[in-house]
Amino acid sequence: MVQVTAEPATAGPTGAVEGRSPRFGRRARVAAAIVAGAVALAAGYGVFHRGNAPARDGSAILAMVLPDVQGREQALAQWRGKILVVNFWATWCAPCREEMPHFVAAQARDGAKGVQFVGIAVDDVAKVQAFAKEIGLNYPALIGGYGAIELSKTLGNDLSALPFTIVLDRQGRVVHTQLGPLKPAKLDGLLADLLEAA
Amino acid sequence: MAGCLAGVACAQGLPAEGSKLLPPEQAFRLSARALDPSTLEARFDIADGYYLYRDKMRFTIEPVAAGPTELPPGKRKHDDFFGDVETYRDALVVRIPLAKPAPGQTLTLHADSQGCADAGVCYPPNPQQVQLVVPTSAGKPGPFVEPARKGWFK
Repeated sequence: MVQVTAEPATAGPTGAVEGRSPRFGRRARVAAAIVAGAVALAAGYGVFHRGNAPARDGSAILAMVLPDVQGREQALAQWRGKILVVNFWATWCAPCREEMPHFVAAQARDGAKGVQFVGIAVDDVAKVQAFAKEIGLNYPALIGGYGAIELSKTLGNDLSALPFTIVLDRQGRVVHTQLGPLKPAKLDGLLADLLEAA
Repeated sequence: MAGCLAGVACAQGLPAEGSKLLPPEQAFRLSARALDPSTLEARFDIADGYYLYRDKMRFTIEPVAAGPTELPPGKRKHDDFFGDVETYRDALVVRIPLAKPAPGQTLTLHADSQGCADAGVCYPPNPQQVQLVVPTSAGKPGPFVEPARKGWFK
């Protein structure tokens, strides 16, 4: 059974959101938890702006708990302290598939140095598994459902389009968001900067 | 990386400067009408630089069911993962027969679609619906109607 939880600080209006999406069942709960996280993120963003802090708080992302392809819940918080690259993707999104082999290469190259890629698929488990096998995916593929896209909306992905990628530094701050393909040179530069800073 | 720390301005990449990605309901404008007591017509006007996948199109009707619906052939395109796929550009017009005539009835047409932009992004599958009043006689098609609400997250 899939259960989505948020950390206490972000668990706010889950019930209210659930109430508005009764026909989605399990998906609604996933969405509700994510929307709750998004609300918390937006709140944190406001705080950041008043404080002129240099980067946004990524705690709503780290609060996500989503099933992997085996149905086991995975908390993104388990990668807290790593340089985290969260990529929203789907097999029905050709540009998503095209950029992923470079993510696999970067994970292999920088994983031991503290870089962790996590894919959040807006897709069916079977298709995700087939594609993961095809490209030798070496990082977790979580199943986000459409609710997961809602979170990305608060980070500049107004159109809910894919691919969408968020890079967090070791302190859990959002240092980069990218709608559309993240070019290999851009990604490598970002990771090099973050690894150097750490 | 400094530019990236500016917050929302950091969401970069697409589209190229000066242009803007269209929301899906503008990139793929759905409208539909009732042609005669036993036929509906759905139309997607597709913006330049955007395309829809043929195998992702689904049309269903309530409460009178749709009859067998033939989608026009699309443009073939090779896809490494899915093999050959067909896509539509510019416009797509589909005639959807009703399983039985429904003169004067109000029907709901559900149109599911999914498409992408050449700029390198794809939109999630987008279920939309249009309410149509079927004409009572042939030769008097109803007006084109657009979806009353947009989006998929409701």
